[in-house]
Amino acid sequence: MPLAGLPMFDMLKTRMQWHQARQRVLSENVAGADMPGFKPRDLRQPDFDGAARGPGPVTLVSTQGGHLPGFAGASSAATAKSGSFETTPSGNSVQLEDEMMKVAQNQMDYQMATSLYAKSLQIMKTAIKRG
Amino acid sequence: MEFTRSLSIAASGLRAQAGRMRVISENIANADSTADRPGADPYRRKVASFERRLDREMGADLVQLGRVKRDEGAFKTRLDPGHPAADAKGEVKLPNVNSTIEMMDMREAQRSYEANLNVVGATRRMLARTLDILRV
Repeated sequence: MPLAGLPMFDMLKTRMQWHQARQRVLSENVAGADMPGFKPRDLRQPDFDGAARGPGPVTLVSTQGGHLPGFAGASSAATAKSGSFETTPSGNSVQLEDEMMKVAQNQMDYQMATSLYAKSLQIMKTAIKRG
Repeated sequence: MEFTRSLSIAASGLRAQAGRMRVISENIANADSTADRPGADPYRRKVASFERRLDREMGADLVQLGRVKRDEGAFKTRLDPGHPAADAKGEVKLPNVNSTIEMMDMREAQRSYEANLNVVGATRRMLARTLDILRV
């Protein structure tokens, strides 16, 4: 049985890809913090309902008619405009503090996913070790 | 790879903020640059702005310094009849640079620069965690 086919590893892989894609979106937000008219974005959480029963293909969701198809293989979750409570006169609504919190959160969750992945690999190794 | 994109986006932010810092330092350095003949204009304050640039190869939205514009605000004047740039009334036009505004701008550029640096650090740590999987 290939390792990649196990639902546990597939879910962790999707999760890690989601965190990587989110890191890109967050770094776009921070880089554009002083650009006039820039609106911060965030990624929607991947949906794991039913993933435990059997992994299905994860596809991009376009919620509006004007949405362009994403970059091939770039992310497995759709980008969503995040609501913000303050907009500067230049039309920029990036809160650097918020974004830094999100970056830290993203980093921690990613660390959790990679730790879980490593632990799962360890369990596999324990299972195949000779007694 | 996504992390490479994150790093290049943050790097573009760093570059843009460094460019803004250059414009601000030009303004501060030229806060007293007057003209050398009567009637001529002194140094005019420059304003930096940012714009979006799509890197097709990377597939990422980068930030870059846009065209540096001139602040069209009025010049300050000072009575100094002995000055080479003094007009008939003895008034000298001084640059429209306000050092308080420049300091504020500088703090803001510094803050944004640090934020971008933090993103670079966070991304690097995430990359290191990915490589740690290999060490199991």
